[in-house]
Amino acid sequence: MDETRTKNRILDLRNFSVDYGWGDGAVRAVDNVTMHVDRSTVVGIAGESGSGKSTLIYGFTRLLRAPGVIAGGEALFNLSDASASEGNFINLVTATESEMRRVRWSNISIVLQSALSALNPVLRVRAQFDQVLKTHRPHMSKSQRRDRTIELLALVGLNEDRLRRYPHELSGGQRQRVMIALALTLNPSLVVMDEPTTALDVVTQREIIGKLAELRSQFGFAMIFITHDLSLLVELADEIVVMYAGTVVERAPAQTLYDSPRHPYTLGLLSSFPPMHGARTELTGIPGSPPDLSDMPGGCRFHPRCPYAMERCARETPPLAQVTNESRSVACWLHAGDEDAAVPVELRRVGVERHPPLGAENAEGET
Amino acid sequence: MRIIGRRLLLYVLTAWVAISVNFLLPHLMPGNPIQTLIGKLQGQVTPQEIEAIRLSFGGGIDKGLLSQYFTYIDQLFHGNLGVSITLSSPVSTILKASVPWTIGLIGVSTLLSFLIGTVSGALLGWTRGSRLDALIPTATFFQAIPYFFLATVMLLIFGSNLHWFPVLGAYSQNLHPGWTWPFVASAFRYAELPVVSIVLSSVAGWMLGMRNMMITVAAEDFVLMSVAMGLSKRKVIMTAARNAVLPSIANLSLAIGLVVSGALLVELVFNYPGVGDLLLNAVQNEDYPLIQGIFLVITLAVLAANLLADVVYLALDPRTRTETVA
Ligand SMILES: Nc1ncnc2c1ncn2[C@@H]1O[C@H](COP(=O)(O)OP(=O)(O)O)[C@@H](O)[C@H]1O
Ligand SMILES: [Mg+2]
Repeated sequence: MDETRTKNRILDLRNFSVDYGWGDGAVRAVDNVTMHVDRSTVVGIAGESGSGKSTLIYGFTRLLRAPGVIAGGEALFNLSDASASEGNFINLVTATESEMRRVRWSNISIVLQSALSALNPVLRVRAQFDQVLKTHRPHMSKSQRRDRTIELLALVGLNEDRLRRYPHELSGGQRQRVMIALALTLNPSLVVMDEPTTALDVVTQREIIGKLAELRSQFGFAMIFITHDLSLLVELADEIVVMYAGTVVERAPAQTLYDSPRHPYTLGLLSSFPPMHGARTELTGIPGSPPDLSDMPGGCRFHPRCPYAMERCARETPPLAQVTNESRSVACWLHAGDEDAAVPVELRRVGVERHPPLGAENAEGET
Repeated sequence: MRIIGRRLLLYVLTAWVAISVNFLLPHLMPGNPIQTLIGKLQGQVTPQEIEAIRLSFGGGIDKGLLSQYFTYIDQLFHGNLGVSITLSSPVSTILKASVPWTIGLIGVSTLLSFLIGTVSGALLGWTRGSRLDALIPTATFFQAIPYFFLATVMLLIFGSNLHWFPVLGAYSQNLHPGWTWPFVASAFRYAELPVVSIVLSSVAGWMLGMRNMMITVAAEDFVLMSVAMGLSKRKVIMTAARNAVLPSIANLSLAIGLVVSGALLVELVFNYPGVGDLLLNAVQNEDYPLIQGIFLVITLAVLAANLLADVVYLALDPRTRTETVA
């Protein structure tokens, strides 16, 4: 058996690509993405708007709508539960529609950015839960369904008097809580969250993130959490994947990535947001804007915007490669080979000055 | 409930305005048509009938307008719509004989057209780009043909030439009107061709409206979520259709008004004994009591239909009942 397909792996994406359009008109929105999610871990996906985060998750969950099509790769999903002695993987890319229907919501659930548009506007909260339970738990009685719904609402901090409400009668935060409760209805092993807090105010955002962390440790589901706000991920995620123009440019344990980014793009993203704790520093951001999918720059896709671009960057595409002696990968020529001297100091050292209270001191920076 | 109460009040107000306008209409005509009429009828009808006509216009031209108005309203509430000049019988009796035919014909065809158009539109929207799309130009073609022409051609081909359908009238002349099986069956047979012609000429609107809404709604997040939730395909389509149908229902109230005015043409072509046919005769003969009675019935029918569409809409879209917001 393939060694990466261990029983603790939940999702394994390999060279996964998604196109919009066919033939000559096709543009590649997700290009050769390889990443994985382990049981009960949180993987954050960060990147500017348009970097292909949503396309990636709609892709492997088979929710793409025309003209979106999976252009290649595998998406192996583990159907066995935590107690099983070995994994039972299904390739979501080739699964039939009826196989997919069994995976949907029972194993993988999704929370979108806007709960107002994700909830059916003409159904009461209770009916939204009912339709999931009726489909997947046909033997449950009406009162069992009601009890389960009340239990779920309580989990996300909502009173049972919300049962009879319509989505438009709830506040933004309450709606997103309903959506989260709905996502947990069938105890899935993977919950995918696509910018679930972006539409909320900062206070509500914090409450929801706190709730999510709590629920995750209680139920042990794995989570893919998408955001363009890296600082949010540091608190929640175990691992962070940074995407740019449809590709993964860096992958590292959350705190490590936050403290010592290796890719110039990650560095730029980190400087685009104020740290959640500690002193505010000047936000430099990233000049320019992401490339047009139909007019992708050759070589490294980031090179036209990169302050450290070298001559080689325009010619050759850097592979996502493991950084020597570290459990992290980066796709950047700066870190290729032994020419360590060439690595700019900001991308080498622990970001102590930028984010003082965060993260233990770590010696990697000195290499 | 309070919203429905408020709507009801609005409709009652509208009805009152319509009734008042209806009363004023003959009074606003140049050269006092009432006086002319009465003059014209002298000697042809009995004095009692002349008195009835006076009453139906508000109790005589010699009294003040306001007092005439109150008499008119009072008569109205007692079901007295006056006496038809040309047909020499009470307007209410005449209407009782013709209104059911129109409401039956127009109501059935509008509902059928709405149902067929909405269901096929929902399917077309969901399977957008499939071969089913060929239905669209076909339906639009029938809508584009002037109704009068379409109906006449259908009448000639399927009625007069092929004899597939009975033509002219609403039931077989050999039968006596009543709730007997042969009579009802005959009424259905006679209604087939007019109903088909109305449906053909109006279905495209419902179909296209629903198709476009379905395409819009299918792109909404909650439809995507219902797929992500693993609901059956049928459930997913129903989720989209349930939300997409709302604008069509809102349009239904608008359509009803148009349809009633279209009734005139239908009844003309098929010689159907409804109010359309009646109205044409009444106008040609300046039969004011009859014209007024028909207008009144049409107005009230349209208002009632609108109210019904409103209630259905309120029942189907919780967002219109926003009073309960917590
Ligand atoms: N339906 C579509 N047709 C064509 N291009 C699309 C479509 N949806 C998204 N894209 C393109 O795919 C890229 C990735 O989009 P998306 O996955 O939404 O990014 P993100 O979620 O990271 O903001 C963008 O360049 C976007 O313009
Ligand atoms: Mg997105």
